[in-house]
Amino acid sequence: MVGYAMRRILGLVAVWFIAVLLTFIAVQFVPGDPILALLSDRSGDPVLEARLRAEYGLDRALWVQFLDYLGNIANGTFGLSFRFAGTPVIDVIAGGLTISPVLALVSIAIAVPLGVSLGVFVAIRQNTWADTLVILILVAGISVPNFAMAAFLVYLFSIKLGLVPVAGWGGADQLILPVTILVIPPTAYIARLTRTYMLEVLQQDYIRTARAKGVRERLVIYRHALRNTLVPLLTTIGIIFGGLLSGTFVVETIFNIPGLGRMAIESIFARDYPVTMSIVLLFTVFYSLINLIIDLLYAALDPRIRLDAGES
Amino acid sequence: MAGESASGPERPQSEFIIRFRRNRNAMIGSIIVALVVAAALLAPWIVPYDVEKVNMLTVWEPPGEDFWFGADALGRDVFSRVIVGARVSLLVAVSVLAITLTVGTILGMCAAYFGGWVDTVIMRTVDIIFAFPELIFAILIAAMLGPGKLTVIIALSIVWWPGIARLTRSLVLSLKSELFVEAAIASGTPVHRIMRRHFLPNIIAPLIVRASIGVGFIIMAEATLSFLGIGVQEPEPTWGGMIRDGLSQLRTDPHLALYASLALGITMVGFNLLGDGLRDILDPRVRDR
Repeated sequence: MVGYAMRRILGLVAVWFIAVLLTFIAVQFVPGDPILALLSDRSGDPVLEARLRAEYGLDRALWVQFLDYLGNIANGTFGLSFRFAGTPVIDVIAGGLTISPVLALVSIAIAVPLGVSLGVFVAIRQNTWADTLVILILVAGISVPNFAMAAFLVYLFSIKLGLVPVAGWGGADQLILPVTILVIPPTAYIARLTRTYMLEVLQQDYIRTARAKGVRERLVIYRHALRNTLVPLLTTIGIIFGGLLSGTFVVETIFNIPGLGRMAIESIFARDYPVTMSIVLLFTVFYSLINLIIDLLYAALDPRIRLDAGES
Repeated sequence: MAGESASGPERPQSEFIIRFRRNRNAMIGSIIVALVVAAALLAPWIVPYDVEKVNMLTVWEPPGEDFWFGADALGRDVFSRVIVGARVSLLVAVSVLAITLTVGTILGMCAAYFGGWVDTVIMRTVDIIFAFPELIFAILIAAMLGPGKLTVIIALSIVWWPGIARLTRSLVLSLKSELFVEAAIASGTPVHRIMRRHFLPNIIAPLIVRASIGVGFIIMAEATLSFLGIGVQEPEPTWGGMIRDGLSQLRTDPHLALYASLALGITMVGFNLLGDGLRDILDPRVRDR
């Protein structure tokens, strides 16, 4: 187990290094000269231009710039913003640093229990009208993109019924719609997977044995069947988490939430690439950490995984 | 091509059609998809208005006899733009599928067949792309290349081929130990011939399932990028872009956001139902239960 964990952590470091390299290359590729953009109306001032170039380290060799970039990530400033001259990226994004991860974590904390309960509910009612109805709703929940869903929900609940605010950030009531929209797709996804896995598990011999020896149906469902459903479900949490992180880009844009997702998009338009790339980097690190935790949990729960990984 | 397969009996086609007709998801999904595809193909002949023609006299015209779905901020007909939006979505989806299926299948087969460093290089690249959340990787590429239709196609192709490659590799790995493949290798059949005649016909069904589920993802991703403003650009109509423009006007003129959302939502449901249905029909593990 320790060996497996070490291998996975080493792999993680490699992924982070590549992410750093990719974001560095991406900034080199973007069109336009950031210093000329910063100078804008004072573009005829060669002294100021030279000073800014030196301040941003852009007058140095590419490999020195890369080392600078690594150093800036290590000291937590993430370099300087192109939009706000001389301001470290970390100061630009500090306000949003907790918002997007918290939105994603809160959503998954709601979606997992809700999705699993819904999945069990329909699995033990297979082929009834309740099953069919819920499946239809689940298909819609998975299929309809969150911003299309937002159009309907905002129109109905904010504009027609006036129950919740249209947008904004700060109050608890302003959280209801964004979190609902983030929660619906993963809930529907988890519920459908739970139903499929449950139906598979309920056909196993040990379930028949449990029923035959007179175990109460509740115990059969929750102790024997559900437990074996949860392990394969665990592996999908990583995918769901990636979807949620992407979802924050959209939801923050719709509801004017000052999180990292909206900042990343705004800084693309403002050509503030250091900010965009730092956010991409942070999301990647966060995402890979969650996946590492899930893999380790999975390996701890299911010994076959670490044996397989050891062979390949 | 399938007739040349050396893998023993092929499933007769009529059986596929019978299963397809019996599968409610596949039937409903295929009807929706057929309607969307028909709208996309016939768009130039069925749209009542020029989708890019600005008319300041009809700005935010509500839905009515002249404009079934109303008009947008520049007085353009929303119904026409929704129909042509299907064309844009499907064009992106078909392009990305064509690229990723070709690249992913070839690289996946090479990784499995040659093994060694070829396998290592291809599969480590796949792992790296998988380490990023899909949409965030696409946003990174969009930021690099600048917004536009070509950017969307490139970005989504880069994030989507690894899935195809990984699936192909695992399918081919299990085929490689089959007797008919060993016989072909032993008799000196050239590599490209083994791939075309022995591997491809036997992995086509799971690839079709994967592709049909993927269309939904690609349409959703294109719409999301366009919604965020880094995808397909004005004046070309896209559902994502229309929803973004419509959301800011939701209070006074909700028709733009609602009709575009409806079109996108129904299309997504259609493709997902069809994908699920095809999986049930073609995946023997699910089917035989």
